[in-house]
Amino acid sequence: MNPKDQLNKVIDNIEKVIIGKRDIAELSMVAMLSHGHVLLEDVPGVGKTMLVRALAKSVGADFKRIQFTPDLLPSDVVGVSIYNPKDMEFNFRPGPIMGNIILADEINRTSPKTQSSLLEAMEEASVTIDGVTMQIPKPFFVMATQNPIEYEGTYPLPEAQLDRFLLKIKMGYPTSKEEMEVLNRSQLSMPIEDLQSVISLEELLELQREAKNIKVDETIRSYIVDLARQTRNDPYVYLGVSPRGSIALMKSAQAYALLKGRDFVTPDDVQYLAKFVFGHRIMLRSEARYDGISAEEITERILTKTKVPVQRLVGQ
Amino acid sequence: MNSIRKNKAFMAILYILVFLLLAEWLTPVITLTDTGHKTLFLVFIGISLLMAFLQVHWAISAGVKILFIMWFLINVYTETAFFSFEALGFILSDLRINVEALFSQDWAQTTDIFRTVLFFSLLWMAVYLIHYWVSFRLSIFLFYILTVIFIAVLDTFSPYNGDTAIVRIMVVGLMLAGLLHLARWLEGHRINETIERLAGFIIPLFLMVAVSTALALYLPKAGPLWPDPVPYITSFSGEGGPGPASVGRIGYGVDDSELGGSFLGDDTPAFRAEVEDGQYWKVETKDVYTTKGWELSEPGADPVLYSNGDLIETEFEPGAEDESLNAVLEMEQDFPFVLYPYGIESIQMEGEIRYSYSPVDQKIEPLLSGAPYEPDAVEIQFNQPTYSLTDLRETTVDKLAELPPEFDRYKQLPDELPQRVRDLAEEITMNSETVYDKARAVEDYFERNDFEYSLTNIPVPEEDEDYVDQFLFETKRGYCDNFSTSMVVLLRSLDIPARWVKGFNEGVQVDSDKERETEIYEVTNNNAHSWVEAYMPGVGWMLFEPTIGFTGSSEIDFDLDIESSDPEEQELPERPQQLELEEEEDAAAAASEGSNGPGLWERISEFVSEHKGAVFLGAAASVFLAVLLFLKRQRWLPKILVPYYRRRNGKQTFEKAYIRLLKQLDLYGIKREDGQTLMSYARYIDSFFGTKEMTRLTASYEQSVYGGRPESVEWRELKESWENLINRTSS
Repeated sequence: MNPKDQLNKVIDNIEKVIIGKRDIAELSMVAMLSHGHVLLEDVPGVGKTMLVRALAKSVGADFKRIQFTPDLLPSDVVGVSIYNPKDMEFNFRPGPIMGNIILADEINRTSPKTQSSLLEAMEEASVTIDGVTMQIPKPFFVMATQNPIEYEGTYPLPEAQLDRFLLKIKMGYPTSKEEMEVLNRSQLSMPIEDLQSVISLEELLELQREAKNIKVDETIRSYIVDLARQTRNDPYVYLGVSPRGSIALMKSAQAYALLKGRDFVTPDDVQYLAKFVFGHRIMLRSEARYDGISAEEITERILTKTKVPVQRLVGQ
Repeated sequence: MNSIRKNKAFMAILYILVFLLLAEWLTPVITLTDTGHKTLFLVFIGISLLMAFLQVHWAISAGVKILFIMWFLINVYTETAFFSFEALGFILSDLRINVEALFSQDWAQTTDIFRTVLFFSLLWMAVYLIHYWVSFRLSIFLFYILTVIFIAVLDTFSPYNGDTAIVRIMVVGLMLAGLLHLARWLEGHRINETIERLAGFIIPLFLMVAVSTALALYLPKAGPLWPDPVPYITSFSGEGGPGPASVGRIGYGVDDSELGGSFLGDDTPAFRAEVEDGQYWKVETKDVYTTKGWELSEPGADPVLYSNGDLIETEFEPGAEDESLNAVLEMEQDFPFVLYPYGIESIQMEGEIRYSYSPVDQKIEPLLSGAPYEPDAVEIQFNQPTYSLTDLRETTVDKLAELPPEFDRYKQLPDELPQRVRDLAEEITMNSETVYDKARAVEDYFERNDFEYSLTNIPVPEEDEDYVDQFLFETKRGYCDNFSTSMVVLLRSLDIPARWVKGFNEGVQVDSDKERETEIYEVTNNNAHSWVEAYMPGVGWMLFEPTIGFTGSSEIDFDLDIESSDPEEQELPERPQQLELEEEEDAAAAASEGSNGPGLWERISEFVSEHKGAVFLGAAASVFLAVLLFLKRQRWLPKILVPYYRRRNGKQTFEKAYIRLLKQLDLYGIKREDGQTLMSYARYIDSFFGTKEMTRLTASYEQSVYGGRPESVEWRELKESWENLINRTSS
């Protein structure tokens, strides 16, 4: 079975639960395939948790959920060593982070200290407690959600930490037709309970390896760099996309190409993903806010402005 | 990214070219302002450019430049040593004077030293600006254009001669522009090139410039459309006169050793003549033809002195009229000679004036107590000579041989005179029997053979060219000097004694005095003229006027026994014969010239000048057609492209064909935006045409370019889709 079909099966599976959000499911897969993490930003109740659970079930992965609250401590995330009087030793009790797929709910509600413990684990794919480093089992995929409407009592994520999320996705409300279908399916039991896994974890790891081998032509690379550089020169932008952002765009484009059954990246892939990769990486000046311009709009503008490479580079 | 700017060798070439270009700016400025020390200024530019090239820190570079300027000032303007208090004091005091002058707005008070400093600052700025253009903007076009305009304007409106400078500028500028374009192109495509591979671009560029320059140098060039305005400007500003330059101002000159070149009209009055009829006013004759012009042979006889009212003996017998005529000349310019009409008898002036008549050149010079005198008014008695036609008919050729040796100097011809001039003289006079008829045949030759009278666009003969030969066979265009000299040379090659006469023609009648039955003529510099005198054996010297449009002639007494219409009847049958002759001659000349290069070019330029209208219309039509074809290329290009790409099968063919299709679609009016991907464009195209082919082609193209697998694309399978689309664009 080729990668495209495998991945489509997963996405079809998710679609059974999350109605009309195929693109979100795809993007989540893209993030997972390129060892990245997703920041979901939306109002409560649009199915964020459901999406992650469906994803976890479809790939047969271990699902953990951390509900972030202001009083949550780092040890509540990564785990804690507890003295066992019987053995006269400290026994490590792993925290919820030691899973395959983690839902970090309302991440901006907790203190920066706890946030950073999660983000560190995301970046390193390991946790260090009492001087002992422990690898988090692979695949490791964090989907963090943040609630954009409640600012009271929240700790906004600093720029450096936002940069660690590969993609930022907004769920959005379903259409009325889709919403009716949601009601329809939820009448008797939640459909998530009946979901079966369609690929194994080993297959998922294999797909991750394949995504790395997707060809990124020189022209595409220069296109990505052009886009990233454009964000740094935009008059509305206070802080543009970092080189890590360029890498994120390339990796996610590779995964997306795999998902679309291609073994090379096209400018379309890059353009499609740029919105999700750049959105949270561009810090706007206050002028932009006054003018009502969002980071997404700036990305869009840069995309229409930057020349798409259509010809082989001379000398290749 | 900036690799090409970091390539020292490449940048060094650029800076050397820039230096050459700047030197071309400096040269005319230095020449025209009479500034010395050009080398030192060049050294300054050189140092500045070198430091800019080496990216010396600005403070060091500025220090070096200031030191150089100081050294220059002290070295050039003072005697003191460079490192001395005197020198420093000198500079400081000069600075004080100039600052004061500046603040009091007394511009004339500023010293040369200060102006030199300003000039240096200008050079400094120029170097900085060009350095910026070359190293940062990678663009020199504006400066290049300005240089060309600068030199062209100076060449046109100032004495500076930019003939070679403009060629050098073209070469240097083209190379510079080419190299900078290459640099921009490399940067634009982010290509890092080694100098070895750069050579692959640079050598063809230099070769191309060299070849086009060589070609341009050897191609024929059109003459100037307007006469050079410089003599005009200088003559108004009162500086200098016509030098050896190619254009002079008309008027009575003394030096005739190098004839040719264009003339500008000049209506400065020379004198006023009150006389019964317009006369040719003779000044002198010249006898030695040098292939370039006229000179005077060594004086053989001493001048003869006359007093007021004495009968002056010239070689022209006064006519047999009952009463001699009176002419009064009021001079408006100072001439140290007397302008006299044919048949002069005596001269009258105020004062104790003696007249020196020289038999060598027939010049009459008034002398006041032995010194040359420039008269204000001259009164002349004269009686126009008449010639008996009967006598003229008896001027048989055999009489020429009996002429005494005094006439030899009027038969002189240079050894280099081309044979074809002699042959032409023989041909012209083939059917004439007497010397007089021969002279008349030569006189009439010019008018009957499409010669053109013109003051402008007249060449000066080259080193190895003969003035007469050039006029008779090549240009056929000229003014009095050309016609008269040619007639003298043609007559002499027939052994007929002839000489070249200088003077003024009758001028313009401006008034008349009814009481005294005289007319008043104004003679200006425009009326300076030259004509011919030839010796008719047994009759004497006679005036001939070969120049087209001039009316001077000898008075002939038709004293024949037969009917007066006879001479005309005699002439009539000659004409057609003569015309035939000319045609044959032309054909022969064309044939002999057709075999070599210059003849061909001449004939082409002749054709162009003859069919100016047609050539212009043709050029305009072809330009129009070319523009039309270019604008409508979307319609016809596919007809060529389809068969071309159909037959091709190379690896790159598909990619090229696809790019061609994109261009064609662009022309069709469906433009792809810069930020639009090929696939989204393809979908749009397909929805526009209702096809699926563009998406299909694009998928293959993406695979080839982005996927890096051109070999996986089969052009043969895609041909049909491609042809289908490209044909749609032409409909």
